[in-house]
Amino acid sequence: MSEQVTITIDGRELSARRGEKLLWAALRNEIYIPHLCAWPEIEPPEASCRLCYVEIEGRERPVTSCTEPVIEGMVVHTRSPRVDRLVASAFELIMSDHHLNCAKCPQHKRCELQKIARERRLRLRPSRLTALPRRGERDDSLKTIYFDSGRCVLCGRCIWACRELARVGAIGFSRRGYKQAVTTFGDLPLAETACTECGECVEICPVGAFSYKINAGGERESL
Amino acid sequence: MSAVTEIGLTYAGLRRQAEEKATRLKAQAVIRIGSATCGLAAGAAAVKEAFEREISKRRLPVKVLETGCLGHCHAEPLVIISRPGFPGIAYGFVDEDLVELLVKNFLEGDDPCYEYALAALDPNDVFPTFEDFPRGVYEKKIISGESGIIDPKEIEQYLAGGGYGALAEVLARPPQEVIREIKGANLRGRGGAGFPAGVKWELCDRQEERERFIICNGDEGDPGAFMDRSLLESNPHLCIEGMIIGAYAIQARQGYIYIRAEYPLAIERVNVALNQAREKGLLGESILNSGFSFDLEVFQGSGAFVCGESSALVRSMEGERGVPRHRPPRLTESGFRGKPTLLNNVKTFCYVPPIIRHGKDWFKGMGTASSPGTALFSLVGKVAHTGLVEVPMGTTLRELVFEVGGGIPDGKQFKAVQIGGPSGGCLPESALDIPIDYDSLHEAGAIMGSGGLVVMDDDDCMVAVARYFLEFTQQESCGQCTFCRLGTRHMLDLLTAICQGKGDLKSLDTLKDLAEDIKAGSLCGLGKTAPNPVLTTLRYFREEYVAHIREGICPAKMCPDLIVYYIEPEKCSKLCNVCVGSCPVDAIYTREDGLKAIDQKKCVKCDNCLKTCPPQYQAVIKLSPPEKLAELEGKK
Amino acid sequence: MEIGGSEGLLPVEEILSRYRNDREKLIPILQQVQEKLGYLPLAAMERIARAVRVPAVEVYGLATFYNQFRLNPPGDHQIKICMGTACYMVGGQIALDSFERRLQIGEDETTPDRRFSLERVACVGCCTLAPVVVINERVEGKVTPTRVDGILLELGLEGLPEQKNSASEEGGKTP
Repeated sequence: MSEQVTITIDGRELSARRGEKLLWAALRNEIYIPHLCAWPEIEPPEASCRLCYVEIEGRERPVTSCTEPVIEGMVVHTRSPRVDRLVASAFELIMSDHHLNCAKCPQHKRCELQKIARERRLRLRPSRLTALPRRGERDDSLKTIYFDSGRCVLCGRCIWACRELARVGAIGFSRRGYKQAVTTFGDLPLAETACTECGECVEICPVGAFSYKINAGGERESL
Repeated sequence: MSAVTEIGLTYAGLRRQAEEKATRLKAQAVIRIGSATCGLAAGAAAVKEAFEREISKRRLPVKVLETGCLGHCHAEPLVIISRPGFPGIAYGFVDEDLVELLVKNFLEGDDPCYEYALAALDPNDVFPTFEDFPRGVYEKKIISGESGIIDPKEIEQYLAGGGYGALAEVLARPPQEVIREIKGANLRGRGGAGFPAGVKWELCDRQEERERFIICNGDEGDPGAFMDRSLLESNPHLCIEGMIIGAYAIQARQGYIYIRAEYPLAIERVNVALNQAREKGLLGESILNSGFSFDLEVFQGSGAFVCGESSALVRSMEGERGVPRHRPPRLTESGFRGKPTLLNNVKTFCYVPPIIRHGKDWFKGMGTASSPGTALFSLVGKVAHTGLVEVPMGTTLRELVFEVGGGIPDGKQFKAVQIGGPSGGCLPESALDIPIDYDSLHEAGAIMGSGGLVVMDDDDCMVAVARYFLEFTQQESCGQCTFCRLGTRHMLDLLTAICQGKGDLKSLDTLKDLAEDIKAGSLCGLGKTAPNPVLTTLRYFREEYVAHIREGICPAKMCPDLIVYYIEPEKCSKLCNVCVGSCPVDAIYTREDGLKAIDQKKCVKCDNCLKTCPPQYQAVIKLSPPEKLAELEGKK
Repeated sequence: MEIGGSEGLLPVEEILSRYRNDREKLIPILQQVQEKLGYLPLAAMERIARAVRVPAVEVYGLATFYNQFRLNPPGDHQIKICMGTACYMVGGQIALDSFERRLQIGEDETTPDRRFSLERVACVGCCTLAPVVVINERVEGKVTPTRVDGILLELGLEGLPEQKNSASEEGGKTP
């Protein structure tokens, strides 16, 4: 069997590596599928944001494309009434828990949430749901980086980066359910942890939860 | 000597020893005290002490045993007295006075005090047995038959009744035959979803990897359900034997019984049972000299409902947060430590020994074609005979509630039955003739679940019930996936508003839409089923939601924000002060005319005055909406 | 009182060595440490994390995920209110409210004198005795507000209104 397979996404025939996850095959071919928690090296995928739903012909229900290995002849539709409803609903839920203040956010115009809204013509501000109370305080204890949990979408990518790329392990998930949060050991300020301010968390954050501090001159603070 | 004969001889030796002990026990008077958690909570320990005191005072040769739960929990503390020459007789609601009477009249004298007896255990010419009552007509005990009779801390009592015989039989046959037998019996997993157990065993057995694990899911988290607790506390060897047979079938060498931390007595008794099984050579190296080695240990859960989900359970056993993962791969392919893992519920394993002993056709002869066998339910809530009942699948809900359960007490009206816990639904009167099996219940919008059955009457508000379950799943959600973490939170907020009379009709549509999205979009079974209590109550009891929203009325008078307590002056008596004393916040005062009234500003709506107002007055009532109070007071 | 210094952590060392610093045994280790110390002090969690070679935040993540684990010392008397379905239907919330009112603390809190702590638990499986509370491991059934006062009186809570049933002839005062 060859390493390459041919799949069809939204009527376009394209070739992909056998076994790779559908989401990455689509993105590489410039077919956008909303996603937050997925990252190519995070294996197995968390599949927690529930935004990357697609329809695959022959399957009863929409599936998450980040968990779906491509196989020869797979026919995929990134849009359908069912997919659109799920994505819109998941997105509205996420936005109801996101402290929305784009003007003051350093990720403005680079934010994955804005991208999803633009691509899928969704509103950033929830319409049928009430915004939930803002979560957490901003942790300003480090010199060059801050963490604003009100912006955090709990995708968990920063936790992976801190552990696997930076080899530090200063942050993790704590609590559960609605109270689940990205925190440090004992909820201590980041400055009291092993954090080296390497910036991997900022680089991987799809929104503006982990951000660099900017000094008066408009430059990134340095250590 | 062949291995097969060796197994047979070893088992026969164990059995003979146990039977001799049982015969000696039968020759003397024995008192069995129902000492599962429910019995102990009702005072079984004090009853036991009282018996021991009376017996030693009178120097009677009587043996006192602590047994598990007979299932008639409404009558706890419950004891069974067996005396040679008499049938075994069960007595309910036993207190110290009754103990003295029974010891004096029945153990010292010859009067079994039938007037205090619930039923006899053995057929006789004098007193009816449990089978002679409506409940007994419907009940069919396959896995709960020895519960409450045998001492769970004495392996011999299980052996004497033929226990571990199925294991001995199985060890003499090839493993695949065992799988075929279980598959042929169409035993469906009793954990809730009803996946055929035999198919799961086969899937596990087909894996190339030879190192395999077997896990029993005893993380019974559904509020209102206690079947697994009762089985493990009352007859732990049944589940253990089922697990060893399962382990042999898939050739696993190590297994775990996952029991939740809230069940300390079950953990204790299972550990005792495991040690005794090891001593008898039924666990460990070369079980019954068969050459097959397997051991079992208890893993104590840490209190997270979501760990009832199998992938979350496995993660917690690996020392991780109990967060479910995307499937596939199934656990049978990649489970504990990444190895093929067979995970079944406590009840599922308990059915295995009887199926092996009596054959698949015997099992299929009970229940319905698609769901053979029996089902074990914990029957609680507003029903006369609460307890643990085992009935054939296909029994209707009506039979279960009104015949087995004895109907609704206190002259109240049946309203709904909640089945399947937080993943299940509330079914109304019109659904009562549904035969209980996996498929019919699914059609009605509920699920079989693990077997918790809560009966509700007209005092129970369906919106509050839906809210209760959402609050539960919201608190127990692991929090990883968007729909469950945030969707249930929004549903809870909407339901809370409705219960406070602040909802609007549009919020019912939002509730329904959100519920459908959470069902379709969640990662795991917990999320996918969390909206069921809301969807079923919206489907069957929509008018109650509307009453809350439109008129600010809670028809069941349960939602605190929509009711007030009121003392009807026409019914109140100057001579009585009971309510005044019962009020924890001094909200009740004596009016100038000597009648009592409630200071609404102080009232915390604890219901205590209504409960304590003597039956001859019944002067305390609840009003909904609260505005009714002004009307009534204006009239005066 | 925070258990800090190396002496306070001796039981932790003993438990860790029994489990041979096995990462997979994190939950049993935490359970045993809590059983010994009454709760999981931060210092103990840090020690455990070092021994099993995981980031400390991972142990914290576990300790805050599972209901069983406590990060603060419990009260001398632990009062757990069952919030199973059957209990809820017949007044579990009322029992919780009553305890909160009398002890003047909320759920998951401990009185300032550390004598009582209050928590809600998932179904303890004694549904036939609803509403149920668990007082220091002992299950107590059919708990009404009056019984709540009785329980607290037995546990020696002072400042409760005297048992009013006997003095009820007086009645309350007109507001």
